[in-house]
Amino acid sequence: MAEREHLIRRGIFRTVVIILFMILVGNIFVMMVPRHSYYKDQALENRQVRFRVRAPRGLIMDRDGVILADNTYIADITVPKNSLGSDGPDSTLTRLINWFDLPPEATLARLREQKETGHRGALVLISNASMPQIAAIEERGRQLPGVRVEARPRRRYLFGELFAHVIGYVGEVVRADLDTTGDSTGYRIGDMIGKQGIESSLENLLRGGSGIKLEEVNASGRVVGRRPVWLQDVTPGKDVTLSVSLALQHRMAEAIGERTACGVAVDTRSGEVLAAYSHPAFDPNLMTVPISAEQWNTLSGNPEKPFFNRIVQATYPPASLYKPVTSLAGLANGVISTSSILEPCLGGWQFGNRYFRCWKRAGHGLVDHTQAIVQSCDTFYYQLGLRLELDQLAAAARSLGLGRVCTKVFADEASGNIPDTAWYDKRFGKGKWTRGVLLNNAIGQGEILVTPIQMAVLTARLATSGRTPDPVFVINPRSPAKLPDALPFRESDLAWVRRTMELVVSEGTGKAAKLDSIDVAGKTGTAQNPHGDDHAWFMCFAPVKNPEVAMVVIVENAGHGSSEAAPVARKWLEAYFAVGDSLPSLPAPVLVNGRGH
Amino acid sequence: MTYLSFLFPPGDRWIFFAWFFLCLISLAVLWSVTEPIHGPYNQLDPGVAKGVFYRQIFWMVIGFVALLIVSRVPLRYLDNIAIPLFLFTVFLLVLILVVGPRIGGARRWLVIGPIHFQPSELAKVTFILVTANILGRAVDEGRGLVAALVSFLVMALPMFLVLREPDLGTSLVFLAIWVGMVFWYGFPGILLLGAGSAVLSAVIMFYSESVAREAWPWGLYVLLILAVLYFVRLSILSKVVLLAINIGFGIGIPFFWDKLQGYQQERILTFFDPSRDAFGSGYQAIQSKVAIGSGGLFGTHYLQGTQKGLAFLPERHTDFIFSVVGEELGFFGAAVLLGLFLIIILRGIDYGAAARRPFGRFVAVGVVTYFTFHVVVNVAITTGLLPVTGLPLPLISYGGSNLLVSSVLLGLLLNVSSRTFEN
Repeated sequence: MAEREHLIRRGIFRTVVIILFMILVGNIFVMMVPRHSYYKDQALENRQVRFRVRAPRGLIMDRDGVILADNTYIADITVPKNSLGSDGPDSTLTRLINWFDLPPEATLARLREQKETGHRGALVLISNASMPQIAAIEERGRQLPGVRVEARPRRRYLFGELFAHVIGYVGEVVRADLDTTGDSTGYRIGDMIGKQGIESSLENLLRGGSGIKLEEVNASGRVVGRRPVWLQDVTPGKDVTLSVSLALQHRMAEAIGERTACGVAVDTRSGEVLAAYSHPAFDPNLMTVPISAEQWNTLSGNPEKPFFNRIVQATYPPASLYKPVTSLAGLANGVISTSSILEPCLGGWQFGNRYFRCWKRAGHGLVDHTQAIVQSCDTFYYQLGLRLELDQLAAAARSLGLGRVCTKVFADEASGNIPDTAWYDKRFGKGKWTRGVLLNNAIGQGEILVTPIQMAVLTARLATSGRTPDPVFVINPRSPAKLPDALPFRESDLAWVRRTMELVVSEGTGKAAKLDSIDVAGKTGTAQNPHGDDHAWFMCFAPVKNPEVAMVVIVENAGHGSSEAAPVARKWLEAYFAVGDSLPSLPAPVLVNGRGH
Repeated sequence: MTYLSFLFPPGDRWIFFAWFFLCLISLAVLWSVTEPIHGPYNQLDPGVAKGVFYRQIFWMVIGFVALLIVSRVPLRYLDNIAIPLFLFTVFLLVLILVVGPRIGGARRWLVIGPIHFQPSELAKVTFILVTANILGRAVDEGRGLVAALVSFLVMALPMFLVLREPDLGTSLVFLAIWVGMVFWYGFPGILLLGAGSAVLSAVIMFYSESVAREAWPWGLYVLLILAVLYFVRLSILSKVVLLAINIGFGIGIPFFWDKLQGYQQERILTFFDPSRDAFGSGYQAIQSKVAIGSGGLFGTHYLQGTQKGLAFLPERHTDFIFSVVGEELGFFGAAVLLGLFLIIILRGIDYGAAARRPFGRFVAVGVVTYFTFHVVVNVAITTGLLPVTGLPLPLISYGGSNLLVSSVLLGLLLNVSSRTFEN
């Protein structure tokens, strides 16, 4: 073999080896010197993971300090954000989906939504994980880099349905929430946000501020550091004390029973709502975790609409409960006196070509103003209505709190309708309607619509001559409620109305609400319902001399207020005044475990 | 001093010192890697057990004794027993495929009592010997293409058997050693061109199919080949054969791809885009780069590396040990380590040219190619230049078989170096 050939091969071999080593060394040099700081940061980031720690929501308590809503902790199973790439899940995520038998497409779509909406931390694969699921993750930790079990506060409503409509509920923030809440500061998909009731209206108070901590982790994502570094402390939500009382709310629910109805009671001195219950209701604990399709269909398919908060959302004609208003309008405008006697009631009143019937077909005969209220004579009020201008009647109703939103706590609160000339002109056209509408308005029918809470305010203002503030659900000692404008009625007229309402309970249609030791004043009503049986109304306040409480009950499709609604009021008043053997009882809290029901 | 001379192998002192210092570096790094990790609540996580360090010392002693023995055995004897030794190794490779225990999804080990032994490591030694035997004899008897083809078949046997274990990294070692030795033997340029362009064609086809998912890169490559063939002066037959080989390899690659194990496909795909699986097979590559890059010029100081300490680096005591070297000893430490290997390789090439007998020359080249391939590929993997495949860093990575084989091969090189024209 020629020596020269060997030398050439040796040269080639050497050159190849030296070039290869130069590539290696050059590459290492670039990594370790010019790009050193980049990798240094990466190494630091490797060890430190930012965790967002959700704040526990503020507690909600009743007026006596009984906790109505608190927080438990549930566990989420999370996967790292980059486990779902643009071309699908990585091997770990795929394995988890198979293990836990999750629906692959729905799960990936949910994770993708979390990822796209600026979710900083990990993606929640399983919310509210069960113990076997948590154990499965903890056992295989080393094979599942980055997969974590994270604790998260979950809202718990200790009395379930009882406060469903007042407190409302929280739900997970979804993309729609981020778009609508102008300040989306700090909300992330998967956070909890108040969706209804107090939870929603006091969201900013209750939610608190989430904290951010840095934890040292090892290669498989397990936390190893002993003490986390807090970049931002957790600010727990503020506690809220409601004006409602657990005992009185419970009694209201007991008194209403299984009927489709609602009742609301207001402290006449402060406007604080003591009880407000609408039936049927729902269990708000079901709403705090993703609800099953089956449960949702049961709730939303119920024809009695359990999500419908009848206290503030439902509007009904006030019917005979409106008669004191018509009387006060007549007295204030000088078209009648408290002792006036009008044409006798012969079962109705002819106006134009139409005959307006009194509810008592046989007629009441000759009645004075007082007896017209006590016996609820429609014919008397047809005549009184005709003596009034429409706008005089509407002004009287508005001064007592009707026709407007009065709590500002509930998102879907109805304002009702107190029609005036302008309203009828708009509705039917100028001159296309007659004074005949006054006959219906005078007895609280026709186009007048009110909510139960508005009627409770009206009752309280009749009781206190207008000194009851707008209703509040939260006790806030620092800003006392604003007193409403003075009523445009003479004190003597108001006192006469109160005396008359006392007669209604002591000897008239409201006898079912009579208490032995406490004087109660009230008024029954029967609201015409074009869709079915009439609704039974009852409003009352007590004690008559020195009023403390005003309440309103409406039972849907029940017929007469005297027989259906007034007994509910009596049962509740017995509890309030603690008369006889009916001391208010406390219900046992519904204990919700971590997994719902 | 002379009464202690039996403790020193004959031949090149530089190579022996390189072996010695590389072993010291290995022990230093393994001591650091096996330091326990401070876990939560003051618990100590042993991480990699300290036993790894002591076992490496044990194997180092065994390796040293083997190196001494091999460096003194007359090369002629080795030449004579090369073929029976190789056939015995092939027998062992077949045996483990039949009766070997399945550990971690692969049949790589022969278990005799407490000893776990990888026949594929032994095959590296016997393969070098048998190829040196075949090519050496061919040189003595006048060169021929037949000997090159026979050596190819001899290489294909262990390569195929090791691939079945499966162990892609080790099977490629045989191919690399063969290429180096056949190059030394003298290989017609046309065949090198054919083989080189065929591999290129396969790689580009793979890129088109699996990464770009478009046909045009490979199409462009075929057009390029056509243009080159039009201009070079070769016989029509050669041109047709070259073109056929290129198209054949290109079209064959999707079939070969389907034959790969799922994790192998995943690793190769991840190589082209490490972030596609940051916590899966791309994880090691990313973490290793972070560890090396965070080392800086002088490293994070011995025993202080955080990547290693917090166990971000899987395989940090075996295939990925170079990243710990980079993190703790910095650029200078890594450069010294590579320099020691470069000393072995460059001096080995010299002996490949200077040895008296052809058998010795081929043995030297085989050993040099073995070290070159292992070091270059291992470091390229840990620095993210090549896809992840299991291949240890000779003498540094933890592992008895690897240490023993590397020491034996260096013993062979020392043996050859003591029988040069100069000595």
